[in-house]
Amino acid sequence: VYLLFQALRQISQRTISTASRRQLENRVSENQKLFQEDNGLPVHLKGGAKDSLLYRSTAGLTVIGTMYTVYYLLVSSMPKKPN
Amino acid sequence: MAHQAHSYHMVDPSPWPILGAAAALLTASGLTMWFHSNSPRLLIMGLISTILVMFQWWRDIVRESTFQGHHTPTVQKGLRYGMALFITSEAFFFLGFFWAFFHSSLAPTPELGGQWPPVGIKPLDPMDVPLLNTAILLASGVTVTWAHHSITEASRKQAIHALLLTVLLGFYFTALQAMEYYEAPFSIADGVYGSTFFVATGFHGLHVIIGSTFLLVCLLRLIKYHFTPSHHFGFEAAAWYWHFVDVVWLFLYISIYWWGS
Repeated sequence: VYLLFQALRQISQRTISTASRRQLENRVSENQKLFQEDNGLPVHLKGGAKDSLLYRSTAGLTVIGTMYTVYYLLVSSMPKKPN
Repeated sequence: MAHQAHSYHMVDPSPWPILGAAAALLTASGLTMWFHSNSPRLLIMGLISTILVMFQWWRDIVRESTFQGHHTPTVQKGLRYGMALFITSEAFFFLGFFWAFFHSSLAPTPELGGQWPPVGIKPLDPMDVPLLNTAILLASGVTVTWAHHSITEASRKQAIHALLLTVLLGFYFTALQAMEYYEAPFSIADGVYGSTFFVATGFHGLHVIIGSTFLLVCLLRLIKYHFTPSHHFGFEAAAWYWHFVDVVWLFLYISIYWWGS
C-alpha cells in the first residue's frame, strides 16, 4: 500500500507540459494592463470583441423577449370569442 | 485623465441593471405562459438572459476590482454592509417558511388526524441520510475556514485543496438530497406536511446550489491568483453565505426532520 501511495504522490507532482503551463501562470498583471488602457471603453466592452458579441446577444435576446412578452400579455388580456 | 478626490467607486455606465430587470420580466411572464398556455418558450428565454446578465455583471465587478483597482477599503466596507444586509434579508425569507411549518405542526388540525406528522405520512428517518447531510455541511464549514486561513497565510496549494474540498462537499450534499427527494414516500402535494417540507427544504437546496456555485467561482479566481492575503472579499462573502446556508440546514434538520418526525 505504501508503494501505491508513493506512486500516487509522484503522479500528482508530475510536471505539466508547456502547452498547458500558460493556463496556470499568473496573468493578473497582463489583465491589469488591458483593463487600465486609456481607450475610453466602458468596462463591459473593454475585454475586446468577445465582450461586444456577448453583449449584443444578451441585449438582442432580452429586447426580443420583452417584445414577445408585451405581445403575449396583450393577447392574454383579450376576451376569447365564444363558439 | 481626470482623477477623483474621494475613495468611492463611480462605475462606468452599464447595461446590466436594465437588461437584468428585463430578464426578470421575461422569467416572470415566462412562468405565466408555462402555467396557462403550456409553453416554456418565454421562461427559457428568461432564464438564459438572467444567466447571461449575471455572468457579465459579476465578470465586470472582477474586472473593476482585481484589474482596475477600484475596490478601496471604503468600497470594500460598503460591500461588506451590502452582503451582510442581503444575508439578513434571506434569513427573514426562511423565517417565513419556518413560521408556516410551526403554525401547522404545533396545533395539528382534525383534518390531519390531530397529530404531527399527519395521519398517513411516513416521515424520513432523521438518523439516515439527513444526518449524513448534516455532517457534510458541518465538515464543509470547517474546510471553508481552513481555506480562509490558508489564503491569509499565503499557502496557495492548501487554499486550493481546502476550497476544492468545500465545493465537492457542497455537490455531494446536493446529490444526496436529490436522491432523497426522488425516494421520499410523500410528495409536495401531500397536504400541509408535503408543502412545508418541500418548500422549506427546496429553497434551502436552491441556496446550497447558489452557494456552491459562488464557492466554485472563488476557486477558479483563487487558481488564477486574483486573491491576496489581505484582500479577498469575494471569498469572504462566499464563506459568509455558505455558513448561512449551513445554519439554515441545522434549523431545518432540528425542527422539520427531527422534532417533526
